[in-house]
Amino acid sequence: VSAQQFSALTEVLFRFLTEPKEVERFLTQLSDFATVNKISLGPLKNIVKSILLVPNGALKRNLSSEQVRADFIALGLSEEKASYFAEQWKANSPTLTRLAVGQTLMINQLIDMEWKFGVTAGSSELEKVGSIFLQLKLVVKKGSQVENVYVELTLPQFYSFLHEMERVKTSLESFS
Amino acid sequence: QLVSALHNLTRHVVYRGLTRAEDILALFPENFHQNLKNLLTKIILENISAWRNEAQTSQISLPRLVDMDWRVDIKTSSDSISRMAVPTCLLQLKIQEDVALCGNGPVVSALTVELSKETLDTMLEGLGRIRDQLSAVANK
Repeated sequence: VSAQQFSALTEVLFRFLTEPKEVERFLTQLSDFATVNKISLGPLKNIVKSILLVPNGALKRNLSSEQVRADFIALGLSEEKASYFAEQWKANSPTLTRLAVGQTLMINQLIDMEWKFGVTAGSSELEKVGSIFLQLKLVVKKGSQVENVYVELTLPQFYSFLHEMERVKTSLESFS
Repeated sequence: QLVSALHNLTRHVVYRGLTRAEDILALFPENFHQNLKNLLTKIILENISAWRNEAQTSQISLPRLVDMDWRVDIKTSSDSISRMAVPTCLLQLKIQEDVALCGNGPVVSALTVELSKETLDTMLEGLGRIRDQLSAVANK
């Protein structure tokens, strides 16, 4: 595999790694690559599979680009190509790390919040009320299902909720 | 019969939101005993705000927030990446189901939600907008 072909292949690989949902596009690009360079698709796929293992393992173990390069050389790749790959790895690692963090387990993740507030005008017990209420709808992801939670708050509760959330934000920021 | 009549009287006063002695006195029939009328009015007036508050808290509503707690964790490692330092927030809301439905045994459930920093920022934006809308309404 020439240097040029290798860099084209690396590009395809990294584009897939940074957008793991684009599986079809990746497969199309791979078969295009195979046809253009007159390599059969089967062996190419196998090679790609083993190459892909390296960045995934590297992420899990937080390897530096040096170590990635060393891994590739150990796998039998020429020094030039290994360095090129390691360079690409370094350039892409922020995106890849962010993706891995994004995949990390989250419990009951809050996805969305809607609200409305209004005035209670009257009830069966009080003819004229005039008290303000705030209704929040929280959309929570529980496993693979989405659950809607409806909560009502009084105004004082709302203000202390806002106050507490601002404290959380300060706390989160001091740890970033 | 007496208790029932008294109950109706107090309910009516609370419902109408009568706060002046004259209005309550006007409810009694003409030949009602004067001192008793005044005594009853006095007692009703003393209790009226407590009764109104209780009626408000026990009216039908969506589930209500009764308490909230939070903690901030730092995620240091996971199965997809072995070293990181990502802060995340766990928020626990204690929610009480509709009081009117539960009678004397209110059902309180706890919902724990996880928020990333981005989610929290978006939430704060939303809460800030609520606050602005509330003060706009209050200043009208």
